[in-house]
Amino acid sequence: MTDMAAGFALLGIGMLVVLGVVFVIASRGGPVRDTPKPPRGVHMPGPSYLPVVMSLGAALIGAGFAFRVDDQLANPFLAIPGLLVFVAGAVAWVRAANHEWREVEHGAHDDGPAH
Amino acid sequence: MSTRTMQAHPSGEHEAAAAVAHGQSGMPMALVGMLLFIASEVMFFGGLFATYFNARAGFAGTWGPPEGGHIDLPLAAVLTAILVASSFTMQFGVWAIRRGDTGKLKLWTGITLGLGVLFLAGQLYDYTELGFGLSDGVFSTVFYTLTGFHGAHVFGGAIGLTVVLARALRGQFSRRNHVAVEAVSMYWHFVDVVWIALFLIIYFLQ
Repeated sequence: MTDMAAGFALLGIGMLVVLGVVFVIASRGGPVRDTPKPPRGVHMPGPSYLPVVMSLGAALIGAGFAFRVDDQLANPFLAIPGLLVFVAGAVAWVRAANHEWREVEHGAHDDGPAH
Repeated sequence: MSTRTMQAHPSGEHEAAAAVAHGQSGMPMALVGMLLFIASEVMFFGGLFATYFNARAGFAGTWGPPEGGHIDLPLAAVLTAILVASSFTMQFGVWAIRRGDTGKLKLWTGITLGLGVLFLAGQLYDYTELGFGLSDGVFSTVFYTLTGFHGAHVFGGAIGLTVVLARALRGQFSRRNHVAVEAVSMYWHFVDVVWIALFLIIYFLQ
């Protein structure tokens, strides 16, 4: 098997692993989930640095592809830290969004009509 | 992150304003969000198609794979058939849950996911047989960029399908509550349509 074929095989295996992890995570939870109703009013998400963090990660990944040695797919000293920053930003963002949703759904808020 | 709640409407208008804000007066907000996302994706792929045509128009010489390489039309046709078939199976799943048939939803979603994974496997196999790499000329770079980004989107759709399948197996969808199924199906149809355009442009407009 050539290096290229081995690389694509590894990519395929990685995809299957990701799908498996997603399946396990999505399988958690109760059998019936009613669509939660947000409280009345207009809800704005709070400010966050996480989009900027993810952008920096993406920029590092792009730099890794741009500034590489000829026989490399990407510069590992740029792309790997970039990937880590990007994934960490995405995970933190999802966690923050889930926390925010729970806060809206269950937290104390004024449901009365505005006067 | 914190949530700020603003209530600024007089009580008479409040109900309608809140209903609009929460998407209770028409299309669910999740579907609106998916439509907006697909609109941004259309612009993204529009840029990639523009890159293809620009590179091709400015290319001196015969447009196509570099010497020693080839693109596999029969395999690409089979992959196209697989992806188009998966759009049908996805829609069968949507129609099933609209009727409240959760069993058929699981079946059709599972088949769709299987076809999506088969497409990705076929594409990765195709890459190993092309005989040219990402940096072997303008055509090669554009080919890998277009098909690679599309493959990444198919993978994204496969993640969505996996979530739908897992939730369906847990019994979390019903005739009234299945917005996620509708949203993922819209995305999957979009990915399918993009591939048909890619297939025609790359493999037929030689």
